[in-house]
Amino acid sequence: MSGQLLRLAWRNLWRNPRRTLIAMAAIGLGYAMLLFVACLMAGLRHQMIETGTGLLLSDVEVQTQGYYPERPIDQTLGGPNGTDVSALVAVIAADPRVQAASPRVYGYGLVSATHQSVGVQLLGVVPDQEQRVTALQTQMVKGSYLTGRMPKGVVMGDKLAVTIGVEVGSEIVLLTTAADGSMGNDRYTVVGMFHTGLDAMDQGLVLMSLATVQDLLRLPPAGIHEVGIKLHDDGITAATATAAALEAQLSKTLPVQVHAWPELAPDLAGYVQFNRRITFILFFIFFLLAVMGIVNTMLMAIIERTHEFGMLMAVGMRPVQVVGLIVAEAASLAGASLVLGAALGAPLLWYLQVHGLNLGGDRGAVSLAGVVVGPLWYGRQDFTADAQAALGLAVVALVSALYPALRAARFRPTEALRKV
Amino acid sequence: MRWQKGGVAICLGLIWLGWGQLSQAADEPQAREIVDRVARLYISQSSIATVEMQITKENWHRKILMQFWSLGESNILVRVRSPQEDAGAAILKVGNQTWCYLPKANRTVRMPASMMLTPWMGSDFTLNDLVKQSRLTDDYDIAISSEGQRDGVAVSEYTLTPKPEAAVVWDKIILQVRQADRMPVWQRYYDEDGKLVRELTFSEYKTASGRLIPTRLVMQSMDKDGKTVVEQTIITYENIVFDGPISEETFSRRNLKP
Repeated sequence: MSGQLLRLAWRNLWRNPRRTLIAMAAIGLGYAMLLFVACLMAGLRHQMIETGTGLLLSDVEVQTQGYYPERPIDQTLGGPNGTDVSALVAVIAADPRVQAASPRVYGYGLVSATHQSVGVQLLGVVPDQEQRVTALQTQMVKGSYLTGRMPKGVVMGDKLAVTIGVEVGSEIVLLTTAADGSMGNDRYTVVGMFHTGLDAMDQGLVLMSLATVQDLLRLPPAGIHEVGIKLHDDGITAATATAAALEAQLSKTLPVQVHAWPELAPDLAGYVQFNRRITFILFFIFFLLAVMGIVNTMLMAIIERTHEFGMLMAVGMRPVQVVGLIVAEAASLAGASLVLGAALGAPLLWYLQVHGLNLGGDRGAVSLAGVVVGPLWYGRQDFTADAQAALGLAVVALVSALYPALRAARFRPTEALRKV
Repeated sequence: MRWQKGGVAICLGLIWLGWGQLSQAADEPQAREIVDRVARLYISQSSIATVEMQITKENWHRKILMQFWSLGESNILVRVRSPQEDAGAAILKVGNQTWCYLPKANRTVRMPASMMLTPWMGSDFTLNDLVKQSRLTDDYDIAISSEGQRDGVAVSEYTLTPKPEAAVVWDKIILQVRQADRMPVWQRYYDEDGKLVRELTFSEYKTASGRLIPTRLVMQSMDKDGKTVVEQTIITYENIVFDGPISEETFSRRNLKP
């Protein structure tokens, strides 16, 4: 029976191809539009999280209890004597949610060249490991990133270099208060400069090898402040859940606190939440537009066939069968339309994700919630939103067919036949 | 490192250079005069001193021996004698400019204004405190708050409250002074909640170049409860000579490097 009904419904659809194609266009185009919006907004969120956490912060940070946010230099993981760094990093990296982990040491100091001195943050990293967690090496504008060959080489922001008047190859002096209270001071060579677009980094960060910073701060080789972690899934929920799980696991052997990026960069997390809400509103508006097109088309398509349904009932079709037929027609129409919409949307999504939208040429980059975005705006497929949109449109198509169907089924055949 | 905490201390420099000019005495003139006297204890045309600074923090303890030279208000040289790892480090202030000699790097660097406000070698003092004159009394009204016997010694207590327009850290400062010789006993600093934040205690009063001065100063920083001591810096003047001859040549950048 139902197979028969579906076959009948499908045949009915193509009895008037123009009417059906108009309805399909309304649903399909609506769906493609929603796919496009979801892809763009998810792309913006992802790009902001990626650049916001991917240059310096990382997705999750493991520190000793009480270290964050003051970052006192004498509070190293595992106490003053430190901890087995490679074992700790290995344990963290073994978690399936973790993509890479990297040990770090932080300090504050005064960087001086010839006549100028500026207070900066010092960051000590193991170059090979850090490059798998953050992507500062992709932002180099002069010289090179840290290498193992020059232990006393430093990398700094381009604006800082201008302020103190140094070039790649110049000598700088660093002065700091070491972990034991003594005056840490030494000479280093600038090997590279980066430009991120974020003033805090470009004006105030000096990157050095882990061992070099430990030496300056008089920390033991086992003394690190933090393990930075890159996750496979960096969404707010996933990052927060992973941080909590890691904290529970690591706390068994080490007094640690684990922060996910939403805690480390609340501005960014706030923006991502804001973006989600905007996406929802935009989605809703586009959805309403699509709904109006669909409801209109479906209503008209059914109402103009009242005469036909009267005829069917006159020859013995029961009202419930009429409703069933119309619903089957609407369902097949919706299914075919969504396939059409996906087919229309696919190349669009592909383009957004591979090439991105160019928003403003070479100088189009903007700083948003402390994160540099653009000039290329890449999309990212949001499967959840896509599925929700498909479901929503299908439901709308069915409901808007059901209403006139029920009305038609209530008519007596003679009455329905009199309608044109 | 308590980067942000810098600049709040009353300090060595303040004791060293005195509390500065006491301006218009609109409040109790006698109280202001007593505080003024205390403020000028260490003021002189020139001075040479050997100072020991003992710093106790949660995780470490350090003893630093330094030598100080000053001429007038704007020429100051500080050189670290020990411990070994910092020996030779020196700070020179001439006029508005400050340089620092770093022995390990073997370089002289110019200090920016911001660095002057950060803790000096982990102590409760900032570099600014070491080399710059405080304007404390310009910013506070002074009133006598009590007089009486404490541990068999007649003392007076003076309360310093900020003038309405003053942008200051402390909400209240209380200074206790011995009535007999007008020597300071202690000075307590309170925050806006009325909690004790730090206490500076004076002791070992000795005569140097004909003046009586406290030669031991203990600065204690309190925990958030206002009771427990979390950090302590003890300054001891081992040797101090006032108004002796010092050549201007002492304060040249050439002389910064030992």
